[in-house]
Order: sequence, then C-alpha cells, then structure tokens
Amino acid sequence: MKLFNKNTIKKIPSYGILSLWVLFTAVLIGWIMIASLSTTREIFTNTLLKSGVHFSNYTKALINHNVGQYFLNSLLYTFSAGFSILIISAPCAYVLARFEFKGNKLIQNLFVGSLGVPIIMIILPLFALASQLRMTNSRILLIILYICITTPFTVFFLLSFFKTLSTSFEEAAAIDGCSPIRTFWTIMFPLAQPGLITVGIFNFIALWNEYFIALVFANTSEQRPLAVGLMTMIQSMRYTGDWAGMFAAVVIVFVPTFLLYIFLSEKIIAGVTGGAIKG
Amino acid sequence: MKQSKSMMVLFLTPALVTFATVFIYPIIRTVFMSFYYVKTVTDSFGKWEFVGFGNYGKLMASSMFIQSLKNLGNIWLWGGIGVFLIAILFSMILTSGVKGKSFYRAAIYLPNVVSAIAMATMWIQYAFNSKYGLFFQFFSFLGMDNAAAFQWTSPDNQFYAMLIAYSFGMVGYYVLIFMAGIEKIPSDYYEAAKLEGANMFHQFRHITIPLMTDVFRTSIVMWSISTVAFFIWSQVFSPLDPDVGTIVPMVYMYNLVFGRNLTLTDPTLLNAGAGAAVGVLMTLLVLLTFSMVNLVFRDKKLEF
Repeated sequence: MKLFNKNTIKKIPSYGILSLWVLFTAVLIGWIMIASLSTTREIFTNTLLKSGVHFSNYTKALINHNVGQYFLNSLLYTFSAGFSILIISAPCAYVLARFEFKGNKLIQNLFVGSLGVPIIMIILPLFALASQLRMTNSRILLIILYICITTPFTVFFLLSFFKTLSTSFEEAAAIDGCSPIRTFWTIMFPLAQPGLITVGIFNFIALWNEYFIALVFANTSEQRPLAVGLMTMIQSMRYTGDWAGMFAAVVIVFVPTFLLYIFLSEKIIAGVTGGAIKG
Repeated sequence: MKQSKSMMVLFLTPALVTFATVFIYPIIRTVFMSFYYVKTVTDSFGKWEFVGFGNYGKLMASSMFIQSLKNLGNIWLWGGIGVFLIAILFSMILTSGVKGKSFYRAAIYLPNVVSAIAMATMWIQYAFNSKYGLFFQFFSFLGMDNAAAFQWTSPDNQFYAMLIAYSFGMVGYYVLIFMAGIEKIPSDYYEAAKLEGANMFHQFRHITIPLMTDVFRTSIVMWSISTVAFFIWSQVFSPLDPDVGTIVPMVYMYNLVFGRNLTLTDPTLLNAGAGAAVGVLMTLLVLLTFSMVNLVFRDKKLEF
C-alpha cells in the first residue's frame, strides 16, 4: 500500500467524524434551499422539485408575506446602526488605548463587564423610557438602541487593535503641527481599517440576526426586521399552510450572512479567536 | 504623547453617554423595580408600590418559573458538557495535522453566523419532522422503523430535541476557541513528551488540559452568558404558547411583561416588578458562575 501511508489510515476515523458533521450541516441547509423551490404538496409527499423549479415561492414570500418589507427594514437597521457604531466607538477606543488618565481602567472594566449583562436586565427601563419619550415603534429608536448596546463590544474590540498601531504616526503628525483630533480622523482612523472592517462584519451579523430587542421595540408589521418577520410567519403557518413560502423566507433570512461568511470566513474566524483568547 | 483634554472629552463622551443610557441607568432602575409592584412596565415611579422581596417570593412559588429555571440548568449542564466534549474532540482532531483543516473549521463554525430563527426552523420543520424529515427518512431507509417513528417534538421529547439542535450550532464557536488555545501551546512540549514515551491520552491529560485552563475558564463564562440569554430556540420550538418542556426564564419574563398570554401564570402575578426580578436573578446567576469559575480555577494559572 503505497497510496496511503500509515498516518493517513490512522486518521480515517477523524476524517469520518468531521465529514459526517459537515455533511449533516450541508444536508440541512441544502434541503431547505431545494424545498424553498418546490411546492408545499411536494414537500409533504417527499417529491421535491417534481413539477420543476418554483421561484414563485420567493415572490409570494416577498410580497404576500411582507418579507420584502422586512428585508428592507433589516438592511436599514444593520447598515445605519453598523456605521454609527464605528463612528462612536473608534474615537473612544483610541483615547482609552493611547491616553493615560484616571478612570481609564474603570471605563474599560465597565465596558467589558457589560458584555455579561443579560438583555432582560436592561430591557424594562429602556421600554419605559422609550414610551415616556413616545418613541416606541419607531425605526429610529431601534437604530439608537442597536448603536448603544453594541458600543461596548466594539470599543473593547478596537481598543486592542489601536494598541497594536505604532505611536510614530502621531509623533510625526504632531511635529508637522497637525492637531491630535485631526491626526486621529485623517491618519489613525484610516490605519485602523482592518480592525474596523472585522468588527463591522461582526456587528453586521449580530444585528442582522438580532431578535429580542426588535421583538419588543418594533413589533408592528411596518417596522419588523427579518428575524421577527419570519417568526410571525411561522406563528401564522397553521392558517396559511404555505410551507414552501416559509422555507423561501428562511433562505432569504440566512442568505446575506451566509454569503458574507463564504467570502470572509477566514477574516471572521481570525476575529473570533483573536478577541476571545485575550479575554 | 501630548494629551489633549478637550480631545479626550470629545472622543469619550458619545460612547459614555450611550453606555450610561442603556446600561447604568437601566441596571439601577431594574434593581429598584424588582422590589416594587409595578402594574405595567410604563408606569411612572410614583405609581410603584413597595413590596420588598415579594416579587421574588411569588416567582419562587410559581411552578412555571421553577420549571424554567430547571430547564435553564439542564441546558447549561448537559448542553455544556456535550458541546465542550465535542468541541474538544474536534479541536484536537483539527490541530493534529488533518488535510482541509480550514474548510472543516469554517463549515463547523457556519451555524453561528446564520440567524438562530432560521436554524431553529430548519431543525424543527425539516430534521425533526415526522412526515418528511431527515431523521425519519434516514431511519426508514435503514429499516429502523422504531427510530423513524420517534416523535422528536412531542411534549416528552421536545426539551432534548431542542437541546440537541441548539448545542449542534454552538459547537463551532468553542471549536474555534479551543483550537486557538491548543495552537498557542509550544509544540516542543509534545515532542518532549513523545520522547519520554507519553501516549496521546497522557499528552492530553498532562499538557493540553493544564495549559488550557485559562481558555476553559473564559469558555465556561461565555457559555453561561449565552445560556442565560436562551430565548429564540424556545420560541421557535413552542411558537404559540410557552410550554413546560421548553420554557426558560427569559421566555417567562417576556410573557409576564409583554405577552398578552394570561394563561401562562396566575394573572395576579402579572406585574413588571416580577419581570425585573427575573432579570436581577439572571444577572446574579451570571455573576455567580463567574465567581465560581474564578474560585475553582484560582491558583491554577500557569505561565508559558
């Protein structure tokens, strides 16, 4: 046996377990995709795609089940919150990484500590506050909440990134008479681009998939993001019975993050391990 | 470097204001609220009625809340053991020099980027379905009719079905963390051990485990935080009413405060103060695991 050396044969069980696990994931996702192109009847009789490909499930989901509206809402929430978070967090992370002052460590600890606070610890006062300001069921409110809640994680992530940047850039800029604030926005912020992109992707995925806050604060049909919209569809399934349409909606929910992951998985994985090991 | 006061204030203020608004103020108010009878969550402070530990007492007397705590404990313990063992196995395999490492790693992590609502729907509407589902077809194909007829989502089985589906997705995250931890261990430790005649098990027991203590500590805390936030899976597995088999504290609290679901508990319990008490209890649970973990792993910090 020249084809397989001893080491490869010893690893066959390892490959077997890994492949089974991955195969299962692939079947789970692949079947949903195929089912989303079949009819509900075909799904129940186990004859997927027998009558050809039905893209109409998607148009039905997008228009009849309002998924198109949910999709646009999700896009609006994730992008507007995603960019604002970076604009607020980056300067804060920079100051915490570079400046020594009383309370620096305390702020860092508070931010890290807040990552462990369950959402149900803060949701009630936020709800009361929002209704006092007559802001419940507004898109702006949800965006503001997303910005505020994601800021500590983003600051924490960018802080360690700014620490890796050399101070020589700022020193050179100071000699040239550039003010510290200008130095940050014209030199340091662009230099931090790799870190900003990584944390931006994380926030995009987290906000796209966010469910609980949206459920509480944006629970009218016009304001629902995709995740909440899909749940509404599932709850009304016993009246509509449109399984194919529901699977189309499932695909619409997961395709954006799925595609992002296919192209950027190495970057995302490096970000996960980089952040967690330090903590 | 030159320190500019005005710059510090300008750069820190927005982040600190957002932090105070969504963390500091709400945490303080929730703690207060948990000691009051608050009819609806939007009531102003003037309408609150002090009840001391009354809300906590009522929660402890509610069989549904106790059930939700039991479910949470089972998810934490059994799900945790399952996820950690599988993740350790996978991370050992993946760091042992298999081909296609980055492909397998990426594929195992994939469920973590997919919406939990979508993942849970795939499991319940496809994998567990008793008419056309994956497990049904797989066991029918093998001729194992008893296994094929297994009702995954019946009231008796739905908790474990939910736990399996949830844990399946969580494995990927811990595989990444453990792999990074193992890769940080200098390889000459293993080479020296091999020369001394240590087998794989000994290497694992005496090198990998002790040097991974810090990674395990962080992971247990992360697992606890994500367990306390368990919500979506429970909702998808019982989409209409909260169910004894799937209820967790967050679902209980949501129904108590925001739900129109008066059947859940005795309506006299319906008060936002009890909801706040659930939040406080969950925060205490996180703090408790955090300090327990630090206590257990204290003195075991190794430098390398």
